[in-house]
Amino acid sequence: MLRAARGQQQSQATIRSWNVVVFSVGGMKLAARTEDVGGVWPWTESIPVPSRTPFVQAMLKRDNHVMPVYDLATRLSRKLQGDPLLCLVARHLDGPMAICIDAEVPCLETVDVAAVRPNIREDVETLGMVTIGDEDVAIVALQHLGQSMQGAVRS
Amino acid sequence: MLMETVSFLVVRLGVNYVALPAAGVHGVLTQAEAGHEQTVTAAGVTYQPVDLAQRLSVLTDLSGLEMRTVLYSNGHSYGAIRVEQVVGLTDVERKDCFPLPPQFQRDERNWFAGMMLYQDQLVLILNPSWALGELADVVPVSVGQAKQIVAATPAAVGGSC
Repeated sequence: MLRAARGQQQSQATIRSWNVVVFSVGGMKLAARTEDVGGVWPWTESIPVPSRTPFVQAMLKRDNHVMPVYDLATRLSRKLQGDPLLCLVARHLDGPMAICIDAEVPCLETVDVAAVRPNIREDVETLGMVTIGDEDVAIVALQHLGQSMQGAVRS
Repeated sequence: MLMETVSFLVVRLGVNYVALPAAGVHGVLTQAEAGHEQTVTAAGVTYQPVDLAQRLSVLTDLSGLEMRTVLYSNGHSYGAIRVEQVVGLTDVERKDCFPLPPQFQRDERNWFAGMMLYQDQLVLILNPSWALGELADVVPVSVGQAKQIVAATPAAVGGSC
């Protein structure tokens, strides 16, 4: 009984918190839910692909698999920092997508869902904003990345 | 077991490797053979110039010794496509051709029928009808529409050629 009650409390606690990966793009701290992240690898050179889709203009080859690259740094008007850069694999609804991030190694954090507040930023799709340490960090909605750009004017 | 294969001529345009269905290749000419005119006439057929690099917004250097003019036809239209290099001819099993990932949502879905790997390179399979100017560039599609396009491909996990 006690065990069951503890289990219930635990599952409620789980629901009330999100595990997030905190990473950095051009010095800007961002977060993503851990379940939306497929992994973090060293960045390898991407292959340009002729494309008119905003920020999707390259692919990354790893072994015999290729995935599209989402240029989050350009979208955020940031210049990537450090060397070697890292590749964060987003579990996008349309399939895995590679994002080049700063060399700073991402870390894991747990955030209280109640502390997640609406994001007023309009430069990227987010699940909200949270304060981690002293910084306000946007939680990027990796599953939906790029979807608000669908109606954007062609570059 | 009989494997269904498709032949492609793989060419290079700048940093991009592009495959043309080999069935439409009527010839490959050197600069000397093609001459200095944009339009090429061979065996009584006139091939209109196709500036593929410009249409794909790809930077190329067509002044090199390996530059070739590919005479191409899909049966309706005839084009002379200048490429930086002819890389080779290859037979590919249909299962080894893949659709463009659905994250590519705009005109490029019309430009390329899919992709494949050749000699460890990513190769984009050109849509000959578009290359020969038979298709206008498409209007932007939504993610949902792009997914439908992929779903409509013979096999979304392979077979895009």
